[in-house]
Amino acid sequence: MIKKRLYQDTNFVTGLVFSILALLLLFVWIPLDSDTGLIEKVRRQVAIGDALAPTIAGVFLLIGGGLLMLLERNGDNQPAMDSNSVIFVGRVFAMLVLSFLVMRYAGPLAVELMNALQGSEREYRLLRDTAPWKWIGYVLGGTIAICGTISLTEGRFSPRALVVALLAIAALIAIFDLPFDDLLLPPNGDF
Amino acid sequence: MATLDYVWLGVLAVFQGPELFSILGLPIPVTLLMILCGFLLGIVVGATPGLAGPVAMAISLPILISVFGYTPDALLPVMGCLIGIMKGATIGGAVPAILFNTPGTPDAFMTTLDGYPMAQQGNAKKALRVAHFASVSGDTFSDIVLVICAPFLALLVEGYLDLPEKTALLILSLSFIAAAVGGSPAKGLISTGLGLLVAFIGTGADFYPRLSMGTEALSQGIALGPAILGVLIIGAVFHELAGQWRHKEVVSCAQPQNEIGSDRLSLGDIRKLLPYIGRSAIVGTVVGALPGIGSTLAATIGYTMGRRRHHKIGKPGDPAFGEGAMEGIAATEAANSSVSGANLIPVLSLGIPGNTAAVFLILAADSIGGFNPGPSVFKFTTDTVNPELVIAFGLFTAMFVANFLNWTIGGIFMRSMGIMARVPRQLLLPVVLILTLTAIYVQETRLEVIWFTLAFGLLGYGMRLLSISPLPFVIAFILGGKLESTARQAFDATGSDPFFLFNNPIAAVFMLLSIAIIFLASHRKPEQK
Amino acid sequence: MKNFGRILVAALALTISTSATLAADWTPPGPIKLLIAFRAGGGADTQARLVAEALEAKMGWKFIPEQVTGKGGLNMAVALKGAANDGTVIGMTVTETFGYNMAAAPKAGMKPSDFTGLTTTAGFQMGIVAPTSKGWTSFDDMIAAGTGGQQIRFGVMSPKLADLAYLLGKAQGVTLNIVSVKGGKAVMDGVNAGDLDVGFMAGIQAKGVAAGDLVNLASALSEPLIQTPDAPTLADLGVAFNADGQFVFMGPAGMPQEARSALTQAIAGAVTDDATKAGGFIKKAFGGAVVIKGTELDAMLQSNYDAAGALLKAASE
Repeated sequence: MIKKRLYQDTNFVTGLVFSILALLLLFVWIPLDSDTGLIEKVRRQVAIGDALAPTIAGVFLLIGGGLLMLLERNGDNQPAMDSNSVIFVGRVFAMLVLSFLVMRYAGPLAVELMNALQGSEREYRLLRDTAPWKWIGYVLGGTIAICGTISLTEGRFSPRALVVALLAIAALIAIFDLPFDDLLLPPNGDF
Repeated sequence: MATLDYVWLGVLAVFQGPELFSILGLPIPVTLLMILCGFLLGIVVGATPGLAGPVAMAISLPILISVFGYTPDALLPVMGCLIGIMKGATIGGAVPAILFNTPGTPDAFMTTLDGYPMAQQGNAKKALRVAHFASVSGDTFSDIVLVICAPFLALLVEGYLDLPEKTALLILSLSFIAAAVGGSPAKGLISTGLGLLVAFIGTGADFYPRLSMGTEALSQGIALGPAILGVLIIGAVFHELAGQWRHKEVVSCAQPQNEIGSDRLSLGDIRKLLPYIGRSAIVGTVVGALPGIGSTLAATIGYTMGRRRHHKIGKPGDPAFGEGAMEGIAATEAANSSVSGANLIPVLSLGIPGNTAAVFLILAADSIGGFNPGPSVFKFTTDTVNPELVIAFGLFTAMFVANFLNWTIGGIFMRSMGIMARVPRQLLLPVVLILTLTAIYVQETRLEVIWFTLAFGLLGYGMRLLSISPLPFVIAFILGGKLESTARQAFDATGSDPFFLFNNPIAAVFMLLSIAIIFLASHRKPEQK
Repeated sequence: MKNFGRILVAALALTISTSATLAADWTPPGPIKLLIAFRAGGGADTQARLVAEALEAKMGWKFIPEQVTGKGGLNMAVALKGAANDGTVIGMTVTETFGYNMAAAPKAGMKPSDFTGLTTTAGFQMGIVAPTSKGWTSFDDMIAAGTGGQQIRFGVMSPKLADLAYLLGKAQGVTLNIVSVKGGKAVMDGVNAGDLDVGFMAGIQAKGVAAGDLVNLASALSEPLIQTPDAPTLADLGVAFNADGQFVFMGPAGMPQEARSALTQAIAGAVTDDATKAGGFIKKAFGGAVVIKGTELDAMLQSNYDAAGALLKAASE
């Protein structure tokens, strides 16, 4: 099997990246985004400020990154990077984001469509716990997510993937929605 | 209330708790039933390559909480079920390792070394029996140690450690975890640092939620679910999917041979195995009691020790380790199973989780409320009942109930699970993915948590890619808030003494140890893998 | 206090009968989202969920509880402020959220008038509590120990209480080491474990005080504690502020009157009825319901908010 190597020197690059991130965290993000400094004086008592704890986290990252660059540069635990795998996971991730966007907007769109067709004025928000509206987004988005991930992994679309996805979504609705009155499937809690 | 009264109350809480239904007038307490369900589910999941105990725990938790609600009555059934899963998955993991040379759980890898050769030689059933016997023995031993040690350790902590010492102890645990997990202290530190950073987003004492960049999404902080499940489960799913996609291979299903000879364990066999099991159980228990090291290392040490002993005293003609020695299976399984009970020692007595199973028990306690694992649990109040202590003894009881199930029906159920290895992973994993995301959503009900979880999934994948262990991340994330608040309290309580970590002997020793651990770990010679 | 409760119940009965016609017509147009500002399993959460359960049973309304925790209720308030105001989104927190906390966090840009008050449910029996093992039987014993050079660790669970503790120390001439912890249970655990010497507890001390393990040194309220009526109040000890506070249900601003009164009546009815699980819990955990609602609640929240500025100023001097 041919392994494409992204980096010969994974540990060094990782260490460098985390050191830079740690420096940005310590000198840009934390100072700009916390209201009390490392220590503050309240009620005439010196107290630990909100910036101290994240600073310690940053120091952990900085030391870790530094050790990786200096002492463990030639460590034995350096996996070869396979850029194809990374691209594959990127695709799966993008597909999942897409399917959750479908999940989020399919229900409200369906209600809008019904309003346009029937001249009614209903709101998805108030229908979010009413069948079949509450399932539209979940079924569509969930099916795309499962079927899409299977297809990407297998390298082709198959009817089997679609059947598995539909069955799985039906089972999930049966587990999470039917028995429980106050559970909301995604995306209905957002309304 | 005497100590024994508490033990008895804990036992009663399991056996006399709210009943679900009754069979022939005999009430079936719900906690018992949940332990059984969890145990069976655990075996199934453990026997399925690509799934493991944490996945089952992650998915069960929101369902369990929905069923039992947010009352203290929910604690024992929910945590009992999780304990059942934990124990079931441990023995289940050996099934595909022995039958198909595919470890069902990572810590069952060493089991393949002798288990699969035994199966090839036509002793599959016997190999499974050895694995079961060793696993249950190790597990039971470890639980006994837990029940004896945890209360004493907690009382010791509460009696001798003040706020500065508690802060130093948390720092010591974190640096130990960073240095010990995964073999690279630098990567351990990075993992720990990331976990701490995430824990500190949106939290803090000031009314402005720090590091939230002014957004509403970050100002509530990152909930435990998205970060932990994202890194542990979604990250693992991404990683497995990528492997599946790269190889596009089918699990090689070597048809097990017909059984040769008796598959039963004779008394002679047991006598031969016991020394191996005993040593491994002690190793596993000691390793388990230290936070963060985990069962894979315990299995490796147990196996190596067993091999050395077998080499020395083995009779000629016995199969050597690696060629189908049942002592090899026993040494491995006893070691990795005895980790689980001992791992709860730091959880219950200090509130410090040592492995993923413990992480989920903390997650459960945190979601339900009314039980805060830590030294305050073991306060033996005499005038009033300390409900947390009753829960703690209830949990101990649940563990022994699960062990009893394991001794009685575990073996039979486990030997029928060979079929699970044939479930195609590329179909199973995407379903697990959506199942996990749905489970998180029904608890948090904001789409943002889905985005967070997916993002943490990418982080988890990246960490696996760079062989950075995600366990320090998870533990640091859980302990981060606790570390900060304890440090603040210690600082305030000592009247803003800047040297509060160093000017009393116990705290100073803890601090020196934490620095020494990191220093020694990063200077040790690289070992051969 | 008992009489006060009875008067409240009577007043409530009266309001129910007068505005019943208006409120009876209202039903929520969809499921009601109930935002809870404190973590699952605590007093506020248990109470909110029990109230929702009671109303589902009695009114047939549908509730969906959701946790929005952090920053002393401000995170919940942010979510509530932007929500639909037709009665389908309400929130449960403590009055301190709308008083001190909003005043202390000007960046968040919220004030009580951004919300519609529904009703309070129960008050805190906030005491200054020490373990009996310290040997202090009165507040003066503690001060004597402090002036004698002993460091005193004072546990608090919110910034407002930290300010009060600071002013108390100032008024009494002792320096208290004020230690902030998360939640009243943490104060009690700290005191029991010996990590703290004394602290504020909002009612959970009752069992320990009754058993003789803890002692109420002082009342942090404007009136004496029910359990220990002889303990001095903060005013007696020279502090012009107090920790009076209640659990409160709120909605976003501009809620229609019929929705507001229907929700208010339904919630107040559930918490004052000891026969419901909600009422029973409140009786057991907080000594009985305290119902302040309508314009009276609006006025109280506004005056709390206005008074918070003075406390902030006093504590920063």
